[in-house]
Amino acid sequence: MKKIGRGIGLSFYGTGYGNGFPDVSKARVRLLEGGKVGIYVGGTEVGQGAKTVLTQIGAETLKMPVEDIVFVHEDTVHMPDAGTAAASRQTYNTGNAIRVACENFRNKLKELAREHLALNSIYGLKVENGKIYLDFFPQKSLSFEELFEKSSKGDIEAEGEFVAQTVMMEEETGQGAPYWPYTFNACGVELEVDTLTGLVEIRKAVFAQDVGRAINPHLVEGQMDGGFAMALGYVLFEDLNLKEGKINNNKFSKYLIPTAMDTLEIEKIIVEDPESTAPYGAKGIGEPTMIPVGPAILNAIYDAIGVRITELPVTPERLVKAIQEHEKEKGEVK
Amino acid sequence: MKKISLNVNGKDHILEVEEDMRLIDLLREKLGLTGVKEGCSEGECGACTVIMDGEVVNSCLVMAFQAEGSSILTIEGLGDEENIHPIQQAFIDVGAVQCGYCTPGMILAAKALLDKNPNPTEEEIREAISGNLCRCTGYNKIVQAIDRAKEVLR
Amino acid sequence: MKLEVVGKNILRIDALSKVTGRALYPEDFYMEGMVYGKTLRSKVPHAYIKVDTSRAEKIDGVIKIFTHKDVPNNKHGVVFKDHEVFCSEKVRRIGDPIAFVVAKDRKTCELALENILVEYEEIEGVFDPIEAMKDDAPKVHGDSNIVYHFKIRKGDVEEGFKNSHVIVENTYKTHMVDHAFLQPEAGLSFIDEEGRITVIVATQYPHYDREEIASALKIAEDKVRLINANIGGAFGGREDISLQIHLALAAHELKMPVKVVYSREESFLAHSKRHPLIMKYKTGADKDGKLLALEAEIIGDTGAYASWATNVLRKSGVHATGPYFIPNVKVDSYAVYTNNPYAGAMRGFGATQVPIAHEQQMDMLAEKLGMDPITIRLKNMFKKGSVTATGQVLTESVPLQECLERVVEKMDFPVGEKEAY
Repeated sequence: MKKIGRGIGLSFYGTGYGNGFPDVSKARVRLLEGGKVGIYVGGTEVGQGAKTVLTQIGAETLKMPVEDIVFVHEDTVHMPDAGTAAASRQTYNTGNAIRVACENFRNKLKELAREHLALNSIYGLKVENGKIYLDFFPQKSLSFEELFEKSSKGDIEAEGEFVAQTVMMEEETGQGAPYWPYTFNACGVELEVDTLTGLVEIRKAVFAQDVGRAINPHLVEGQMDGGFAMALGYVLFEDLNLKEGKINNNKFSKYLIPTAMDTLEIEKIIVEDPESTAPYGAKGIGEPTMIPVGPAILNAIYDAIGVRITELPVTPERLVKAIQEHEKEKGEVK
Repeated sequence: MKKISLNVNGKDHILEVEEDMRLIDLLREKLGLTGVKEGCSEGECGACTVIMDGEVVNSCLVMAFQAEGSSILTIEGLGDEENIHPIQQAFIDVGAVQCGYCTPGMILAAKALLDKNPNPTEEEIREAISGNLCRCTGYNKIVQAIDRAKEVLR
Repeated sequence: MKLEVVGKNILRIDALSKVTGRALYPEDFYMEGMVYGKTLRSKVPHAYIKVDTSRAEKIDGVIKIFTHKDVPNNKHGVVFKDHEVFCSEKVRRIGDPIAFVVAKDRKTCELALENILVEYEEIEGVFDPIEAMKDDAPKVHGDSNIVYHFKIRKGDVEEGFKNSHVIVENTYKTHMVDHAFLQPEAGLSFIDEEGRITVIVATQYPHYDREEIASALKIAEDKVRLINANIGGAFGGREDISLQIHLALAAHELKMPVKVVYSREESFLAHSKRHPLIMKYKTGADKDGKLLALEAEIIGDTGAYASWATNVLRKSGVHATGPYFIPNVKVDSYAVYTNNPYAGAMRGFGATQVPIAHEQQMDMLAEKLGMDPITIRLKNMFKKGSVTATGQVLTESVPLQECLERVVEKMDFPVGEKEAY
């Protein structure tokens, strides 16, 4: 018999290394030939979109197009340490370091422009679209390209650093401020359980994710789709089949991850509530996007068949067995 | 060693291959076509997908000598920066790329689908790429990209 | 604030290179004079070992076989230095690295691996974390398998349960899973034009890898260079060291480019896994559905090595309440060594597991109270100004209620009715 159920899951997630451990990101910004700007940072692009998002933060701070920014993050010889691409920390932590570095860079450009334009102070100078100019007398203007030519090539640079704030917890009570900031979300699913085969099919899903502010909404959606799929695999079928320390499912013909046939278009809602300590309000969402999905599925399974599943994964065999036991128990009660 | 001739991305090649060499090794190591990716070596993940005589194959499961006389398309032959293919463009525009490791195989699976069925439904698209695993995207933007490419190509 | 770039769907900067197949991942790099490396790994979960490489060394084309004797400082690890670069006396899990063969090609590497003689003196293993916590359990490292114990003590849970109208108690179990990123580990090492040991890999944290390589080889960090190629997914599985030190050691000793590409099967052995948790939950609420107390005991199996176990189980503990205000909380979370594959970071890092428990507890409490699942959450959820179980004040950006309300609206969940969903 096919039974339909619905369920919800909520979660919160503290980002960053946390617990008072120094969480430091550093970035360097340099003027390049042709008036381009290089951002040098050890933040890794693992596929999540760090390269794009961090470039956007730099471009926003310098008020210039992303095309004119060269993002260098591959080689330890050229880039300062920006911490790990983990703990959902790159957008917030390294994004902040880049914003600070770009602000310092902007001030440096103003100082240099003041000299070259023979001005008395930097007040009224604006940095925008690859040039430094006096707001109320725009004829006083110097392009990034001209400034590069006037400098001894490549020595105009600035650095920035961001150190996140957390408080180590007390050992006996756990009292402290272990993470900052926290990200929140909610996921609702509707699914169908085939009580004979134990197969679970998701029919509908709605996923609302707090992001502080979305630097790039498409990339946020990509994380939500990906997190949903990973959670689906986690709860319903991924299994190493571990026996006495041996991974028996050690290849993709045995360790099954979701395919395009297992996933579905989900309704994604991006909730914005900017965080004041974050770069343009943006919080990390890489990990959170997987978290509320699993419990929503489990609650929906209960709603469908009245059986609580307390052990993962909910494979068809385990589900059929649980249904049979439940029926037996009900029979005994009667 | 065996001598084989085949056409890859429009170019004819005559190559000496070992008996136990796989097509993926020939493409990657003899011809430098590293857009062909290896994810599982057992035909499950589809990262090594190429189009051989119009059919999608996992190049890790095809022996090099079996490609004798065939015509093969890899991602490098589909389009490049100057001459990008509409499916590639759709993947960029829709945001269907994350880590990018499944992307070449995914795009070629889409190409083979659209060559045969220019107007697939969402279900048909999902089925056509179900032999290509992706761990990042949850597939939805990939499906959307193929759907968009189909409109452009029609 | 007027924003011009932030908030825009700027096209992914690395997309063009990825759709054209030009993006290079570590296995896509080839160099003149390049040789290959392959790792010998333990076939048993717990044993003392003796290794004899002499027969393999005589094979034509074998350049060198590295073992623990060749590593100046044979230790590494993200928090505790409990991993050995190559096991010296004991293997603690199936897949532990024992030796690294460098040979002229891959086939010779395979042949050499078959000819390395490993004598395993097997010892009893422990695979269940609850068993592993007992005093008489076989010890994986040192004299206790308990790596870490995290505690939260807030209010008085006994009092909280006494005042509760409903109490729900359950034990939940999650399992060990793999990141299954699509690109198996690979890398290429060489000495660059300035004499630096250079390693091209796919890593989440290049500066950390550099630090570990420098430490293992006992050389200065500026003599080591990490180049991060394109990365075929990570999800936490590329935080610990896998092949980085092996590659660096080989290039350093041999002064020739060395390449390693893992198979999918080896990838499963090489990197960390998600911690399986056993979560014992007791949650109480008053008759209006207000949560009064939570007591949770969480036991995490970190397998043969600690990796991020302390931080993961800490994160489980801190997130054990779920996003709800609870006045009385007692949490104990433990990380425990076993002879299973080692667990480390994976997307959500201990916070992915606990909602499997707390969200089902919420639904069960609601059912007992004859309340719907949305209402009980609305009554207890974090809002701006809420205080967490660790005493942290959530001063801003807490739009959980909005998240819930928008999902409720789109799912058309009934609210305020005595039924689930």
